[in-house]
Amino acid sequence: MRLRLLSLPLALSLALPAAACSTPGGGSGGAGDGTVKTGGTVVFALSDEPDVLDPTLANTFVARVVFTSFCEKLYDADDKLNLVPQLAAELPKVSADALTVTIPLRKGVTFNDGTPFDAEAVKISLDRHRTLKGSARVKELAAVKTVTALDPATVQITLSRPFSPLGAQLADRAGLIMSPTALKKLGDKFGTSPVCVGPFKFESRTSGSEIRFTKSTNYYDADKVHLSGVTYRIVSDPNVRAANLQSGDVQAAERLAPTDALQLKSNPDVTLRDISAIGYQGLSINVGNVAGTAAPAGRVNTPLGRSPQLREALELSLDRDAMNKVVFAGQNAVDCLPLPLQSRFRPADAKCTPYDPERARQIVEASGEKLPIPVNLLVPARPADQKLAEVIQSMAKKVGFDVRIRQSEFVSSLAAARAGDFDAFLIGWSGRIDPDGNLGDLVGTGGSNNFGGLSDPAFDDLIKRGAQASDDAERQKIYTEALARNAQLRSIIYLYHERWFLGLSSKLTGVVYPGDGIARFKTAAFTG
Amino acid sequence: MGQFILRRSLASLIVLFLASIMVFLGIRALPGDPALVLAGESPDAATIAAIREQFGLDAPLPVQYANYVAQTFQGNLGISTKDRIPVADILVERLPVTLELTSLAILVGLAIGVSAGIASAVRRGRSTDYVATGLGLFGLSVPHFWLGLIAILVFAVKLRVLPASGFVGLGEDPVENVRRMVLPALVLGTGLSAVIMRQTRSALLGQLSADYVRTARSKGLSRSREIRHGLRNSLTTVVTVLGLQLGALISGAVVTEQIFVIPGFGKLTVDAVLSRNYPVIQGAVLVTVTGYVVVNLLVDITYAYLNPRLRLSGASE
Repeated sequence: MRLRLLSLPLALSLALPAAACSTPGGGSGGAGDGTVKTGGTVVFALSDEPDVLDPTLANTFVARVVFTSFCEKLYDADDKLNLVPQLAAELPKVSADALTVTIPLRKGVTFNDGTPFDAEAVKISLDRHRTLKGSARVKELAAVKTVTALDPATVQITLSRPFSPLGAQLADRAGLIMSPTALKKLGDKFGTSPVCVGPFKFESRTSGSEIRFTKSTNYYDADKVHLSGVTYRIVSDPNVRAANLQSGDVQAAERLAPTDALQLKSNPDVTLRDISAIGYQGLSINVGNVAGTAAPAGRVNTPLGRSPQLREALELSLDRDAMNKVVFAGQNAVDCLPLPLQSRFRPADAKCTPYDPERARQIVEASGEKLPIPVNLLVPARPADQKLAEVIQSMAKKVGFDVRIRQSEFVSSLAAARAGDFDAFLIGWSGRIDPDGNLGDLVGTGGSNNFGGLSDPAFDDLIKRGAQASDDAERQKIYTEALARNAQLRSIIYLYHERWFLGLSSKLTGVVYPGDGIARFKTAAFTG
Repeated sequence: MGQFILRRSLASLIVLFLASIMVFLGIRALPGDPALVLAGESPDAATIAAIREQFGLDAPLPVQYANYVAQTFQGNLGISTKDRIPVADILVERLPVTLELTSLAILVGLAIGVSAGIASAVRRGRSTDYVATGLGLFGLSVPHFWLGLIAILVFAVKLRVLPASGFVGLGEDPVENVRRMVLPALVLGTGLSAVIMRQTRSALLGQLSADYVRTARSKGLSRSREIRHGLRNSLTTVVTVLGLQLGALISGAVVTEQIFVIPGFGKLTVDAVLSRNYPVIQGAVLVTVTGYVVVNLLVDITYAYLNPRLRLSGASE
């Protein structure tokens, strides 16, 4: 069997020293100066409450944040969103027919309950992800046919179809490995006292308040862990997170508001780090969702739904830079692609539709539609979304659109969007490191998040080919074509990537903040 | 008195039954499928169906209601769909926190409200009255959210004398518990104190100008005893207002708990509604309604105790 590597050159993975395997990039540069102390607990202000801490069932972004402290994955992502081995020893090796993936595992690793980490444990976790009733991982691992423990340090995965994004899936929740002993003991209640391989082990959870972890003595890289614990405190309001950071009640706070971040820059007690989030914000246009996302796409009889030219006019009317300045103090990164700015799959010469209200007005007037053209804009009831919707309304009005904002609480707005009850829907996507995760399910035929109901066989074919191709250069070529087609169809007008600000106490050093926007505390320490 | 309590208790049970039906149907009338919320960012039909089956959401509504009632009578309020923890455990953990917060807020409200109300009534038309009335108006108008943020900025960020957030159990560390409860209780108690102040002032003014006080005054009763007599008769109004303010206190607790990161009951309920966590909503509302009904029952009984004419008028209805 001829083997080749998935996603990254072999040289890169082999060049990585073993210790570096579990630490992605992201500038672990210390915030503080002075001697590194051993001990102390970091209190981290989390932006929302995680759901169940069970890798198979969890589906919130914040749960991903918490998992990094106590539950390692087969792979992780670095600054540039490249895969780096974590519990795996090397990058996955793919057979010539792309249907068999072999993963060598780290040796001498134990779970936080002392259970040895081996191929059988990986098989148990992956099988649970694929088969447990209600598992949120089923779709992510749909291409997996079998998982086999070849020997204690090697796992082999066979696929029903070639699927390049598998590596990226294993660098997300589908790659989290659970202790077989704890699984046997707790079953579907694993999330109440989860046990994995990680620098910290689960201590307690006070629902709605905080989750505590203490240093693990079983961790294979324990000599790099300086803190005696990490506590995740749920502080939903960004202004309150900033105040807590300033008062010293928390030593780290994620997703600070851009306006607070500007103020904190001058505070000597606080150090700021920022990244462009891998997710995006966009305006989904209903082009074919006539009976819900689960039903076949049809023909939507609205001016925007019928006419790609009017969708172009709407995009031409939007000044992304002005939106960013007015709503986000200029801190976000405006963009017209769904791929993260760090992604190596982005086309080198990508050009956005420029702001051109004159041209937009001409298209609207030539459309033959009765003016102003009504647009029912569905908006989740969140302060920033409301402001953004008002800016869109004002910009689109100037070229002949009558945007009527319909605010709805988040879950209700998602229900309305899935039912096709909108002309345009202001919604974002949390983002994935592989292009497939930012396209297939969002604009591909039948995708569960394809709110606009786009159904274009040519585009679907490109997405399918992109997922099947295993060579990076070939994939980039396919995705460049797919993105061009996507831009033509305009079922989503992409607006920006959020800039996430991580605030740290200046006494804290060694916190890693890689491209996925999730802070890691494995190497963090207080300074004297 | 016994008959009065019995009558009021029966009425309370009917309220509880009706509330359980309203909550059950009300949350299911909301748009948004809880199974879809649980199925993750990329839900597929099989996962959604499995989740519906797991939480009994695929059964007809009457069956779901019957299961809910049967479980409730067995003391089992179901499993939280968000974190898969038994609802009863969550409520047992959260309820004392909110009870502590609201009790402290009531203490703050009574201490400030009654004393300011007395001062305002006794010194009617003078600067004390104007200041107290102005502060009362401020307390009524200012949102808890804003007040909470200002309190954090002043006491935690600038002065660094009190913590900005977090909760420590009373049993774990009583001193730290009180330290962390001071700001939230002050913030939550401020609005209540304003209401109590205004009610105390108006009730006491009414009593002080009543015939019996004038007669007592003409017979040489001292000013302090005059106020004491008037205040006792004004307290029925204050007690009633306190009962009626429970709802406002609970809704205020939602915001206060959010700002100060207190794992209380109000925040739990709002989060459960936003994530369509049916078992938690049902359990939380049932407990809240029960609390509300019991408090109002106690207020009625206290009221009847303070004013015996009420017992008689209730009996003759």
